[in-house]
Amino acid sequence: MIPAAFDYEVAESADHAVSLLGEHGEDAKLLAGGHSLLPLMRVRLAAPSVLVDIGRLGDLSYVRDGGDHVAVGALTTMEEAHFSDLLERECPILAHTAGEVGDPQVRHRGTVGGTVAHADPASDIPTVLLALDATLVVRGPDGERTVPASDFWLGIFESALGPQDLLTEIRVPKLGGAGWNYQKFHPRAQDWAIVGVAAVARNGGVSVALTNMGEKPLRAGAVEQALASGSDPAAAAEQVLEGTSAPNDALASSEYREHLAKVLTRRAIEGARSS
Amino acid sequence: MEVCGWAPSQVLGTLQYAGGGWERASVRCNPTGKVTVVAGTSPHGQGHSTTFSQIVADDLGVTPDDVEVLAGDTSIATWGLDSYGSRSLSAGGVAIHKAAERVREKARILAAHELEVAEEDLEWTDGKFQVKGAPDRAKTVPELAFSAWAAHNMPEGVDPVLEASAVFDPPNWTYPSGTHICVVEIDPDTGSTRIDRYVAVDDCGTIINPMVVDGQVMGGVAQGIAEALYEEAIYDENGTLLTGNMSTYRVPSAAELPGYTLGKTVTPSSTNPMGVKGIGETGTIAAPPAVMNAVADALRFVGVEFIDKPASAEKIWRVVQQAQGQAPPDRAPEGGGTGAASMTPGVEGGAA
Repeated sequence: MIPAAFDYEVAESADHAVSLLGEHGEDAKLLAGGHSLLPLMRVRLAAPSVLVDIGRLGDLSYVRDGGDHVAVGALTTMEEAHFSDLLERECPILAHTAGEVGDPQVRHRGTVGGTVAHADPASDIPTVLLALDATLVVRGPDGERTVPASDFWLGIFESALGPQDLLTEIRVPKLGGAGWNYQKFHPRAQDWAIVGVAAVARNGGVSVALTNMGEKPLRAGAVEQALASGSDPAAAAEQVLEGTSAPNDALASSEYREHLAKVLTRRAIEGARSS
Repeated sequence: MEVCGWAPSQVLGTLQYAGGGWERASVRCNPTGKVTVVAGTSPHGQGHSTTFSQIVADDLGVTPDDVEVLAGDTSIATWGLDSYGSRSLSAGGVAIHKAAERVREKARILAAHELEVAEEDLEWTDGKFQVKGAPDRAKTVPELAFSAWAAHNMPEGVDPVLEASAVFDPPNWTYPSGTHICVVEIDPDTGSTRIDRYVAVDDCGTIINPMVVDGQVMGGVAQGIAEALYEEAIYDENGTLLTGNMSTYRVPSAAELPGYTLGKTVTPSSTNPMGVKGIGETGTIAAPPAVMNAVADALRFVGVEFIDKPASAEKIWRVVQQAQGQAPPDRAPEGGGTGAASMTPGVEGGAA
């Protein structure tokens, strides 16, 4: 339970963080709320040689109206997102799901940007962002760029972030009264999702995304197509396993996860359509 | 009903126990007015200090805050056979009560001497020794503890200081009893169980502190629910423990547990002078069968005959699949029984 030795640097600004990452190379990791990285370090599944602490960059903690979208600063905590009036009004699925992550202690320290960058396929927020077609704003050595959520997560703990990149902002669309639902199956309130399903009903269609059904958050394209061609939610949910590779571990078998994915997909679609 | 209050020494001898079943305690009245109790039992969260302080406070006319309970260090608590089998109160607590009574009997001799009356002219009223018919003439135990420590004016043949010890070897076990009833609802689509209602009515004899008793019941029931539905040590085929941390070994939190409806009947034990029985084991004994019977009662409606602990959501889902695949349920819900479970097909969002 004691991490390997590491050096510690405090970033004074986003650009300073980027230059510190450049200085220390690939073994450096950014530290935000620390509620995913530090547990991994304590069991030595992660052993970065340098931690670059961005926790004091207060200007990356905000929820702002961006016109056609809501801009969420990467260092916004889950608790701040959960209780944001702006998100509650314009993108309630994100406010709701931020309140489903971990427990209150975790939500007061863990950040929205941290869970996005950490790229754990059992995390709830990336799934919701994928269903929302959110946009991620990244600061790197060559300046700022945007990455669509569909291109952001690549695998377990792998994302489009390069070794010298800092995620600065998450942009989510204003839903304008669109229906939404997030189904999280977890034996205990504080647990990671065994399986999670996000559904957003807007623009005449329903987008569906899955938590912990593969090595990254997944869009359930086959389900979306079935719905578009008139299938009812139960029939559409039968298509949910296409492209998935559910984990098989002590918490649940892959067979059970596959069953849950169908049940939760049906419920999420029905919930989104009736909300 | 459980056989509790592990004692008596003679019987334990016939059962081939190496040790006996007595408990020892001492009660020391310090010149400051505070009282120090040394107990041979060891607390690990049951509220012994609270309960034992109340016993001594009642016996000696002081407040519980004036009583300090020492335990768990053999250089202080030299004699004791420890806390197990719900014996801390019915053996150890009674030894403390006996020691406190001995202190009070010595205090009576001192009070009579100082008040210059015969012992039989004193009455123990409102936590002090009063001269009958003259309540203004009275001595408290702390006052007598100071004069016994100063020892300037002791009665003939009485030693200084006010303290006593006592051993209690109960003549029999105690027999606390109770009934626990659990109502569960199972989501047939996911297999997850929600406890809708949990009622526990227990009889632990004389109750010293109702909050401590309720706390013991609630904590024990929580552990029992955990055993029935959550906690499991899972090993892989190589014998490696797969549930070796708190994220995989599922200890439930308050968020997963129901509110409890608690009731009491009070039937004082006849096997000790305080009438106490013990309450610490009811939850872990009663809750696992109550919860599992409720789960089984719900699952029999879909043809499941047996399910092992813990009844996790996946395990319930599997047995329901098996039962429905092999033999569709043909038994209608029967009348009678406990009525302690319900299963509502199509219930939504129970676990989400």
